[in-house]
Amino acid sequence: MSSPTWDEFAELALKRITAAGAEYGDIRIQDSRTEHIEGEDRRIASIRDIHDIGFGVRVLYHGAWGFAASSILSLEEVPRVADLAVEIARGSASVALEKVRLVPEPVHRDSVVTPYRIDPFTVPLEKKTDLLLNVMETLHRQEDIARSKASLWARRDRKLFVSTEGSRIEFDLLAGQGDCTATALYESRFASRSFNTPHLRQGYELIEEADLVREASRVADQAIEKVKAPVVDGGLFDLVLDPEHLSLTIHESCGHPSELDRALGYEANYAGTSFLTTEKLGKFRYGSAHVNLVADDTEPDTLAATGYDDDGVQCQKWDIVREGIFVGYCTNREVATKIGAARSHGSNRADGWGSVPIVRIANIGLEPGSATVDQLIVGVKRGIYIEGHGSYSIDQRRYNFQFGGDAFWLIENGRRTHMVRDVIYHGITPEFWNSCDGVAEQSARRRYGFITCGKGQPGQSGWMTHAASTARFRQVQVIRGEGQS
Amino acid sequence: MTGGSGKSWPHMTSREEFRFLSDLVMARSSADQTIVRLRDHHAGTTRFANNQVIQNVDTRRGSLAVTVAFGGRQGTASTTDFTAGAIQHTVARAERIAKVSPVDPEYLPPANPCAFPVRETAKPETVAAGPSRRLEYANEAIGQCRMENLLGAGIVSSSVAAVGIAADNGLFGYEQRTDARFSLTVQAGDATGWSAAAHRSIDHLKIQERTLAAIRKAKSGREVQELPAGTYPVILEPAAVAGLWTWLIWSLDAKSYAKGTSPFAGKLGHLVVDERISLRNSPDHPDLMGEGFTSDGLPSSESVWVDHGVLRQLAYDRFTAKREGVNPIPTLEAPALSVKGLPVASIQDLVKNTERAILVTNFWYIRPVNDRSLLLTGMTRDGTFLVEKGEIVSAVKNLRFHESPLRAFRQVQAWTHSMEAVNAEIGKVLVPAMVLPRFTFSSVTRF
Repeated sequence: MSSPTWDEFAELALKRITAAGAEYGDIRIQDSRTEHIEGEDRRIASIRDIHDIGFGVRVLYHGAWGFAASSILSLEEVPRVADLAVEIARGSASVALEKVRLVPEPVHRDSVVTPYRIDPFTVPLEKKTDLLLNVMETLHRQEDIARSKASLWARRDRKLFVSTEGSRIEFDLLAGQGDCTATALYESRFASRSFNTPHLRQGYELIEEADLVREASRVADQAIEKVKAPVVDGGLFDLVLDPEHLSLTIHESCGHPSELDRALGYEANYAGTSFLTTEKLGKFRYGSAHVNLVADDTEPDTLAATGYDDDGVQCQKWDIVREGIFVGYCTNREVATKIGAARSHGSNRADGWGSVPIVRIANIGLEPGSATVDQLIVGVKRGIYIEGHGSYSIDQRRYNFQFGGDAFWLIENGRRTHMVRDVIYHGITPEFWNSCDGVAEQSARRRYGFITCGKGQPGQSGWMTHAASTARFRQVQVIRGEGQS
Repeated sequence: MTGGSGKSWPHMTSREEFRFLSDLVMARSSADQTIVRLRDHHAGTTRFANNQVIQNVDTRRGSLAVTVAFGGRQGTASTTDFTAGAIQHTVARAERIAKVSPVDPEYLPPANPCAFPVRETAKPETVAAGPSRRLEYANEAIGQCRMENLLGAGIVSSSVAAVGIAADNGLFGYEQRTDARFSLTVQAGDATGWSAAAHRSIDHLKIQERTLAAIRKAKSGREVQELPAGTYPVILEPAAVAGLWTWLIWSLDAKSYAKGTSPFAGKLGHLVVDERISLRNSPDHPDLMGEGFTSDGLPSSESVWVDHGVLRQLAYDRFTAKREGVNPIPTLEAPALSVKGLPVASIQDLVKNTERAILVTNFWYIRPVNDRSLLLTGMTRDGTFLVEKGEIVSAVKNLRFHESPLRAFRQVQAWTHSMEAVNAEIGKVLVPAMVLPRFTFSSVTRF
């Protein structure tokens, strides 16, 4: 006897949910494959091929949620898990004060496939390990490089979403990334410099086009320059921030506060709440008139552009901040009702079959302006140009932040002069974004993805892409990140 | 699941079943060496916010990982499908990877078989706990918050995992591990109070006691003043101490030490913190999460890492340990920090004996700023207070710190007995609350 199809499993689960009297239910069956190759210090340290299959059933019963999931996809386990989800929802309902309501969403019957040119899972493994070994050898050509790292990552998710409302959506999604890092030693100091391709929904062409070996040579040179660079004294500096660096700034100081579940207190015990409380919507000056932050889950190649979220809501594009004013949240079908929205923005995502979907940051990006990068730098008398990600930390309402970076150059009298090290800047989110007085043009726009955004209890990893053009911020407080030993 | 329904948990992979599965893998493998790792995890969490259940989940995930090696070429494949066909496919995938991998100069065959310590890592009451027990505990916390007209947000979770390792040289380990957790954030307007617990036994979560503690904190935070950034004496509660020490522990990597890229470079055998502080691994302590063996198939045992302020131990991978001649390899999954000398009885006594200090309940979002000096940053959270003349005089707006634990813990002024500590970003540890004379805060936030 052939094993049942995913559709037959889905039908089995949803019939039981409906028969139990639930007002809503859905099932996600997912088969994920991840290949992760990690190189360290001229050796391939690990190659992992992870196959993860299972299903999760979500039930809304008398206005309360229940969710159960299992890695055993069988005719015995599917009804057990569906019944368990109902039973858990009944328990939640027994203590509910306010019933969950879902904003309407049209029924969708669709299929979403990531376009790609080269399937990373068909690229010979030797080719990938040779690449990483070559990258590490290139890093070590400089004798001051003490340590090296290089890695490749690829993931394919095949998923079926079916709801009691009649939606049925199939997904075949791909994502990939590659990176390398060099750590240089000089006297008693060490410093690292990295190159990362963005995490994008592309095939292996992402890696081939990135030319990791060429980048490794630059990374090694800059790691050595960085470890020998002088420390900058603290004070107020103008900052010119590159798109990769800004992707993290946007993520932490705009992305998280714009999650409506946080603003409503759902994350109060872990990830925190948000200073962007609901009465500020449409009124609050978040940044200067140069600041336009747009959520776009429809842009091809980006991580949150999955066609539909895990509520079965179609991906959309909307404003978060328009000309400096806070105008939009990331929402799901549940929390959208709390602000009277007619439709969810489609930001409800789980990190796999075993997790319940929660509100996640969308692909929020900083819209390009009209200046060139050179013009932004020319306008700075005393400043710092920052590339890449470094140290980062922010309070639980997303006001007080602190960022480092991967590489820093001093700007003096309109010219980028030499590298400096151990730069840290801090500020208060709306004050910082109000100090933005220029964003570079479209040609400077780059995209960077995140796959380890932690939120929720139990913890989940969120995926999203943040695009930006280089931007300038005036008179930001910089401090020395060199601790005393 | 037990409780209201009377149903039982789904069957979990037993020792005998893991033996059968690992034998199946060995029989199918043509590699020089083969290792099988099992993790069969059943977990549930009831999550609440604004005094309501917002999420109630139960997940079972079984995973089997196969690592094979041919002459130092290795590969790992894993699956969540335990059927014979899927396991055979997983072995074939691992072999395919290994055969085309370059030789790993650091490859070592599986650890030798040994008798692992038998510890009570699974508590039957936690195994038996299901959604109804978790809901009951969540309701207890919510009810207290409602009575006080405050808002509670938190979780109650329980889980059991069957964990196993087997290799073709006869290495075999299997144990079940339970984990129960409770954490609660109470909101009183802008003020928050927090408390948390983690234990092998769900009976030890002390829901009422911890709920009242979080409520007390929140209510005490209503009157708030802003202090300027600067260097202050601090009273760090156990969770705050644990947050800083967690980063110190994560920085003890022996390979980084050998390569010169460790904040401890050159400091092994030297004083790194106050000479009264010691750090041990205490896997047999009933309130810690000790384990019988590691994912490398090494036994977990008692070990001393910091002895009266002197760094005595690093965290070794097997290759680095072999190169350095370290045997047995110590583990640190059950950290216990202690201070020699006479402790005070309670945190309240630390407050009473303090002229002026900032009392920190917990730190949040601790991240490294500088790996060389182990300079860290992070925010105070869920209860930060000004202490003057032996009393808490007011709450203060949360502060960002900039401090290295290697500097901050050079001198401890006063301390309590070691207490259980846990938060969302750290594991379970035993640490005292401590008074430190100098702790640097670099900025203030808005609340």
